[in-house]
Amino acid sequence: MAARRKRRTAADKAQAEFVSEAEEILERMRNDFGALAEAMGNGQVADPETVNSLFRSAHSLKGLSGMFGQEAMSELAHHLEDILDRLRMGRATLDPEGLALFDESVTVSIAALEKVGDDDASAALVESIADIIGRIEQWNEAPTEVEAQGFAVDLPESMLRALTEYEEHRLRANIEQGRGIYLVDATFEIAAFEEGLQEVQSAIREVGEVLSTLPSPSGALASEIRFSLLTATELGPAAVLQRLELGDDAMTVARLPDDHVDSPVPSASTGPSADEVGTQETAAETGGVATPAAADETLKSISDTVRVDIRKLDELMNLVGELAVQRGALNQIATRLAQDPATSRVGQELVKVQKTLERKLQELQSSVLDVRMVPLRQVFDKLTRVVRRLRLDQQKEVRLDVRGADTELDKLIVEELVDPLMHVVRNAFDHAIEPADEREAAGKSAEGCIQIVASQRGNDVLISVTDDGRGIDVEKVRERAIAAGLVTDSTELTRKETLDLIFHPGLSTCDEVTETSGRGVGMDVVRANIGALGGMVDVASEPGVGSTITIVLPITLAIIQALLVGVGSHRFAIPLNSIRETLLLEPEHLQRTEGREMLNLRGEALPLRRLSEEFQLGGPTDGKGYVVVLAVGDARLGLIVDALNGQQDTVIKAIQGPVAAVRGIAGATEMGDGGAVLVLDVSALVEDVVRKGEFRD
Amino acid sequence: MTEALPESWDALARAAASSGTVEQTDLAREFLCFTVDGDPYAIPVERIREIVRLKTITDVPRVPPEILGVISLRGEVVQVLDLRLRLGVQASELTRTHRIVVLHGDEGEVTGLLVDTVREVLRADESDIQPPATGDSDFVTALCARDTEFVGLLNLERVLDLG
Repeated sequence: MAARRKRRTAADKAQAEFVSEAEEILERMRNDFGALAEAMGNGQVADPETVNSLFRSAHSLKGLSGMFGQEAMSELAHHLEDILDRLRMGRATLDPEGLALFDESVTVSIAALEKVGDDDASAALVESIADIIGRIEQWNEAPTEVEAQGFAVDLPESMLRALTEYEEHRLRANIEQGRGIYLVDATFEIAAFEEGLQEVQSAIREVGEVLSTLPSPSGALASEIRFSLLTATELGPAAVLQRLELGDDAMTVARLPDDHVDSPVPSASTGPSADEVGTQETAAETGGVATPAAADETLKSISDTVRVDIRKLDELMNLVGELAVQRGALNQIATRLAQDPATSRVGQELVKVQKTLERKLQELQSSVLDVRMVPLRQVFDKLTRVVRRLRLDQQKEVRLDVRGADTELDKLIVEELVDPLMHVVRNAFDHAIEPADEREAAGKSAEGCIQIVASQRGNDVLISVTDDGRGIDVEKVRERAIAAGLVTDSTELTRKETLDLIFHPGLSTCDEVTETSGRGVGMDVVRANIGALGGMVDVASEPGVGSTITIVLPITLAIIQALLVGVGSHRFAIPLNSIRETLLLEPEHLQRTEGREMLNLRGEALPLRRLSEEFQLGGPTDGKGYVVVLAVGDARLGLIVDALNGQQDTVIKAIQGPVAAVRGIAGATEMGDGGAVLVLDVSALVEDVVRKGEFRD
Repeated sequence: MTEALPESWDALARAAASSGTVEQTDLAREFLCFTVDGDPYAIPVERIREIVRLKTITDVPRVPPEILGVISLRGEVVQVLDLRLRLGVQASELTRTHRIVVLHGDEGEVTGLLVDTVREVLRADESDIQPPATGDSDFVTALCARDTEFVGLLNLERVLDLG
């Protein structure tokens, strides 16, 4: 049984939240001060980003402690914020004495945090805080004001107005240092712009400084957002381009002209608009601030990538499919010509040409497929963010370990994978990982771990989510299954079969409903979603050790390998990834139970169904044929067909029309002769036969 | 007339479709007229995507009998509704004059209608259109008067609603 966490009062909880958040901020400040001290020791200029980060931390701490009634701490933070503001604006300089004061402030604040809730001890600390504040004021008495002055670069006026005082200061400081000022325009999809923007920013920070990031009005699509990043760096335009080669986001880089040294701020009428800047030729020769290595480089778009609507790729794929059909027709003509003595020579030449055509078509097809592939990283990054937020929200120490983020999958599958995977991870976070005290009592590390591993295996991608939590309580699953009427008291189930029950609709192993996992969306939905992608989900669990959810997905939905089977005059295609083996039907191995056929397959009872009966296709129901052994997870079904007609790469299409979905049919595919062949929905077929049968009384 | 139709029809239907819906005010509307079991029926041209000759129809199990099967249409797989069965008339052997009228549809709802022959495009004014002869008609919601006959205007929503 799960030990329930003790319920804390709301006030206790709020206080605990404050302490942990303030601790985090102070820890960050301590690191940043350390970095500043080191830079100073080496005789370097303080990194503006560090000063800025310190300023933000002090600001957050001020607000936070004020909100929780920690007035002394708030006052101290206010003073720190003030000094740091001057520092970052270049109105004050840091000396060892100042650094020592900062360090002491942090130490005292941390000490105060530990005593929160203990009134006597806090009172003593308030005094030492007041003491530090006094010394800070003394140290800070003679700030040097810097006069505002014009810029040595020509900035669009709209941008100038948007700059904060600090950003203006940094711009000025960078120009003084002789760095080149660039505008980097980058366009992102709104849904994922945070990651993209961060990526660009951190790439720039490696070589320079991001002075300001401004959303830019642009001709971007409605689903996109564009940013202009005002950037300072010592690199020339070519080097900047090279550094920002980040992949799929459309970007342009433009060096700002710097010939307006004397023009006052703001230079409204002389400044080019943001768009003009973006397309301007290099301004290296215009003099003013030195522009190293900028001599004869042009401002081409730095990205070689194109954004494409996936539907266009579908169209392309259809065209390739149609070409393949035409190729088939050509082959028939060529073969006919080759067989006729009168035309055999030209016929054979045509056969050769046709063979080359076939090869090229295959290359074309795989190229188009390749374009659809995206790394799983985008999904995994989302998961990482969610887990980070959950950690903060729930005060639960859980580490997310992600491997194989470079594994590639069809874009469409990746999109559809987000929700199921998110659900699995949230389940693990919420229910599987125990509270820290419970973990320690069980001899585990206080911090739980969820590991996500992706890898490619042939035409499949395997994703496993493993937690080191309490494992699934098989007895409890069974109890609930009985309560839900899925099984009876007397039903004998193996451990594996019982575990598999978690995929049944309406079965959740946790009594509590938390916001995180939501209500009603259970593992059955995960299985259904993954099944719809042609994939499979499986679960393994060890009590006290943890659970693993394994998801197997085809690399692409666009093309699958299928086995063509014949039943009477009908043809069907069965996805190869769900076929375990095919057997010749040997009547002497057939057995019947309750009127249903089954087969002794190496000692295991394999349930059998005749496709002609399942689909009421008519025709003889016994006699010769083949058994196609289908597998979904651990479930097996032998499907009896009349003929096996070989394998083929097929493009599965949804069936359009007034009848929405046919159980057992996943779609259809176009054949070389122009006809359509239905593709079986193996998971539905197996589920109908095996699962229903297993758990029925 | 019937045999020479398809290509021009196709173009006409596409043009009508791409120009958006045909004006429905006082202007004459255009309908595609076809026959089922010898009787004339019509549907608005703007609903038609294309008209294709009979091609291999693949049986689909577990669907109502009116669904004849699916055809492959330049990469799309589209169900074919047998209008003869739907209108309750006897289905005869398929011949080369049979046509599949492919209707526009929202995503996933493109449908083919199997008809006996395609005749012509009718232009009809409001004044040509009158209510059906009886009130118990399921699919014919109006009649269009021609020189010597009435053409039944089909309510496609009802025709396609197999639920």
